[in-house]
Amino acid sequence: MTPRPVQGRSGTPQPSAGRRRAQPLSHLRPYVQAGSLILFIVLVALAWTLGDRRSWANLFFRLDPLAGAMGMLAGRRFLPALLLSLLTIGLTWMVGRAWCAWICPLGTLLDWTPARQQPSAAFGPESPWRRAKYILLIAVAGSAIAGSLTLMLLDPIVLMTQTVGRVFLPLLEQVFSLLERAGFAISWTRPLVSPAVNLLRGTIFPLERHFYGGAVLTGLLFAGILALNALVPRFWCRHLCPLGALLGLLSRAAWVRRRVDASCIDCGHCARLCPTGTIDAGRVYASDPAECTTCLICQAECPVSAVSFTWGSIRPAPAQSYDPTRRQALVTLGVSLIGMGLFRSSPNTDLRDPHRILPPGGRENDLASKCIRCGLCLKVCPTGGLQPAFPRTNGQDLWTPVLVPRMGYCDYSCHACGQICPTGAIPDIPLDIKRTVIIGKAYIDTSRCIPWSEGRDCIVCEEMCPVPDKAIKLQETQVMTAAGQPVMVKLPHVERERCIGCGICEYQCPVAGEAAIRVYSPVVERG
Amino acid sequence: MKYITSRRKFIRSVACAGLGLAGTALLQACGAPATPVLNRITLEPSPTAIPSAAPTRTHTPGAPAAPPPSPSPMGISPTRAPAPSTALPYLAVVRGASAEEITRQAVHALGGMGRFVKAGDEVIIKPNICNAYHGPEYASTTNPEVVATLVKMCLEAGARRVRVMDFPFAGTPQKAYETSRIGPAVQAAGGQMEVMSKANYRQVDIPAGQAIKRWSIYGDALDADVLINVPIAKDHGSTRLTLGMKNLMGLVLDRAGFHARGLHQCIVDLNTVLRPHLTVVDATRILVANGPTGGNLDDVRVMNTVIASPDIVAADAYAATLFGLTPADVAYTSMGAERGLGTADLTRIAISEIEL
Repeated sequence: MTPRPVQGRSGTPQPSAGRRRAQPLSHLRPYVQAGSLILFIVLVALAWTLGDRRSWANLFFRLDPLAGAMGMLAGRRFLPALLLSLLTIGLTWMVGRAWCAWICPLGTLLDWTPARQQPSAAFGPESPWRRAKYILLIAVAGSAIAGSLTLMLLDPIVLMTQTVGRVFLPLLEQVFSLLERAGFAISWTRPLVSPAVNLLRGTIFPLERHFYGGAVLTGLLFAGILALNALVPRFWCRHLCPLGALLGLLSRAAWVRRRVDASCIDCGHCARLCPTGTIDAGRVYASDPAECTTCLICQAECPVSAVSFTWGSIRPAPAQSYDPTRRQALVTLGVSLIGMGLFRSSPNTDLRDPHRILPPGGRENDLASKCIRCGLCLKVCPTGGLQPAFPRTNGQDLWTPVLVPRMGYCDYSCHACGQICPTGAIPDIPLDIKRTVIIGKAYIDTSRCIPWSEGRDCIVCEEMCPVPDKAIKLQETQVMTAAGQPVMVKLPHVERERCIGCGICEYQCPVAGEAAIRVYSPVVERG
Repeated sequence: MKYITSRRKFIRSVACAGLGLAGTALLQACGAPATPVLNRITLEPSPTAIPSAAPTRTHTPGAPAAPPPSPSPMGISPTRAPAPSTALPYLAVVRGASAEEITRQAVHALGGMGRFVKAGDEVIIKPNICNAYHGPEYASTTNPEVVATLVKMCLEAGARRVRVMDFPFAGTPQKAYETSRIGPAVQAAGGQMEVMSKANYRQVDIPAGQAIKRWSIYGDALDADVLINVPIAKDHGSTRLTLGMKNLMGLVLDRAGFHARGLHQCIVDLNTVLRPHLTVVDATRILVANGPTGGNLDDVRVMNTVIASPDIVAADAYAATLFGLTPADVAYTSMGAERGLGTADLTRIAISEIEL
């Protein structure tokens, strides 16, 4: 993306060659943005491949001050890994909301999405709707104080991680899968496909396609956010983004401020170009530091070089008409606290769901208050068994991870979810200890199990059981068939105290549909 | 903004490429036979055992050696030349501390790798890398030294390329290759580890099949010039032991279907179309209980033994004896012998037993 050309706009004065300065910084911005977006996607895509270094796959969450602040607020604990976001806070205090224009992967995509160039007056520099993002931020904070991080799904990094992990990469996998099948069908392309499979399958793409609950919802939410560009460029950043609001608050005291000097010829070019539309032609082209993303387009495009970004005072920026009033802020806070209280007072039958299997260590943690819903654990899970929860009675646990053994088991040789979790909601447990963590208990449905109900040997569950001395034992027993014939058959039994609930027995059970051996949550807590 | 090409040109070139690919696929579909001819090795027990050159204790069976097991009953893939020119042992068993040495000696006793691999051959080696749980000392995956030695020997015999692969039932292949240490060992030996793509399986007719008549098998294993089967001998809940014939299950797409249709019969059916040219049973360590996953060193016995034979049934039959069992205890072995896949009667074949 290059800045929009000056030519072709009626009434725009042509820059005089002599006064035009080189603007290296502003021209770097598309490259920085693209680099940041690519890094973001690569980190999500390589989440599994990075192996024991995969804690760096959550780099963007470490840099995200909203994730850090809310994670600590709701979790009531200190998260040292998230202190890297002090860098972002420092950057914002120096140069304002530069994160939004230079680093944020969602902002970059919004920049690349076509947008309405002459928005209606309702979205002008003083649009009261700019208040909405502050209201959302207060709501996120209020529910975090009340102990829920569900609203963190509005954090742009969370949104992007979910979208890349659950929508973009699975779509890419489908394309790859098509090419793969076509490639293997034709003999001369086979030598080309094999190296690609070696490189991509089992690394950035799973060996077998993974399916994610809520993928359509995530995709629609993301598409909706992009589609809001049809109202006004970067609608999301101006009006909704809670991270943008937080950075905006910090930017009010930013050192570097945008200035317009007296040589301004009142052409209005900068006001038309500003991606967040904060340059107010009615106020001598002044802007609100809380809205300005320091993209430097106005400086680069000013025909008379009247715009500059210079070190200024640390005096806070003047208040704006769209800033939330104290009353609005308090009402929002109150409403979010009461709302969370109402959620709490309604019965959460999902917690009593016997099939609610949580990743190792997740049961000991309260996921609602510690999980920021980023979905990295779902992406990294090599079996695709971790799925976003979609609660039926209570929003508190929305999109926290649950293990659905019929879709994928908890691999005995893997503790990737704990390694990648940015907030430690899934604790990083060493592999040898993780192998002993009980996440559920398997029970055999003897009315459907092949040996029990049909008198035929099967044993897949016993074969698959990864526990060294096998939590599933086969007892050779004489049973009567329905026809009255006595037969010897190996009947599987679960040795309950050995079972860790990994669910590979349920995953591999050859009985069609619902498995004949199923994992249930080990104990019923709360509720 | 400048574009590299116009929209129209782009759509046109995509359409042309698609048509071309579809045309090629169509032409291929018209031409290729569905069932490939696999086996090139003659299953021919030597009439009398000849002591090999190595310091061996060749044990000659009391009864005169039997004629070769009935050659190719209906539907079983025909065998291929070359027949061993001189009488070589039918099965070699080598014991010794060095996994590399005993592997080399075992293949050497059978006439060397040159008997199986010709210059320019594409070789696929199928070890047992069933999951990513434990290292080789737990005896749930094939000994990496045995696999790497076979890779080296194939390359020495002039193989164009040696690929090693398995489809682990738990964990990603890359991780299983690494944990089993087979990946690094094979790469150091000059071979390639391959990730088996779900898209590369082909439906194959199984004319002699009793439980299954058609099944999806990994395409490259069918196409390879030479297929070498390197199971580890270990305990298995339903089949009692997993050995060579069972190890080939790693090359089929739908394994649950085998369980549903009767495991032993399906394994035998599979072995009628998938005929490895050489089976090397890794018994350097064997897992005597809680297989096939293992995880307890108390269940591991160090046997320092390698068994090699072009006859998969004979190799399995001998391996069963290491567990104090007879071939009849491992049903697919005796069923395989009845079907003419090889011989399970160890008294009727020439066995070269070598101690290093």
